[in-house]
Amino acid sequence: MAKLMIPTPLRQYADGRDTVEVEASTVGEALEKLTSRHADLRRHLFSDEGKLRSFVNVYMNDEDIRYLDRDKTTVAEGDTISIVPSIAGGRYVS
Amino acid sequence: MIRIEPVTWKLMVQHARDTYPNECCGAMLGKTDGGLKVVRVGVPMKNAHEGSQAAMYVLRNEDLLAADAEARKRGLDLIGIYHSHPDCDAYFSETDLKNSCPWYSFVVISIKQGEFDHANSWLPDPDQTKADREELDYGEADG
Repeated sequence: MAKLMIPTPLRQYADGRDTVEVEASTVGEALEKLTSRHADLRRHLFSDEGKLRSFVNVYMNDEDIRYLDRDKTTVAEGDTISIVPSIAGGRYVS
Repeated sequence: MIRIEPVTWKLMVQHARDTYPNECCGAMLGKTDGGLKVVRVGVPMKNAHEGSQAAMYVLRNEDLLAADAEARKRGLDLIGIYHSHPDCDAYFSETDLKNSCPWYSFVVISIKQGEFDHANSWLPDPDQTKADREELDYGEADG
């Protein structure tokens, strides 16, 4: 079982849970199972085209999956998958 | 509405003063009760922007991940992000909007000539096209 850590503002779309456990062999499969079980989460994580939203990063344990094998990153028993947004900004007006 | 406990607010404003004339950034941990968010802990973070930090901040994902873990450990939630605007108002700029995340409250602290001036909280929409102002209560301690 892999454990998905749900960010606070999204827990309302996951029956109030702060973690969700799923049987999955890859990160992509884990996210698919998560958003199948909690359908309202999908639009917060994925665009209409089915891609992760631009500000959404996924970490396996402490590693960004972009530096692993992206959604094909293998998940082992006890692994933790975290959803982390990219955040920046500033007074600069582009 | 978002309420920041006075001691926490004082530390956040101090962080903004200390980094002046550069922008500071950090996370806010607390609890949500219905429509009220209460910030109990401010977590100062490193501004990871590699150019001039006078008008730009970047949070490291690793720091956010650690803040979320810290919140869970303390029985709190990661409910918002704060940063400062040195020598300008606490609006939500185009840069803020384009690099935001709609899941959190964004508190902007205006620091003018090194001193606190005012602050606002913003709620960006999912498409990063606009941000609504959120009622902000930071008590009387302005740092």
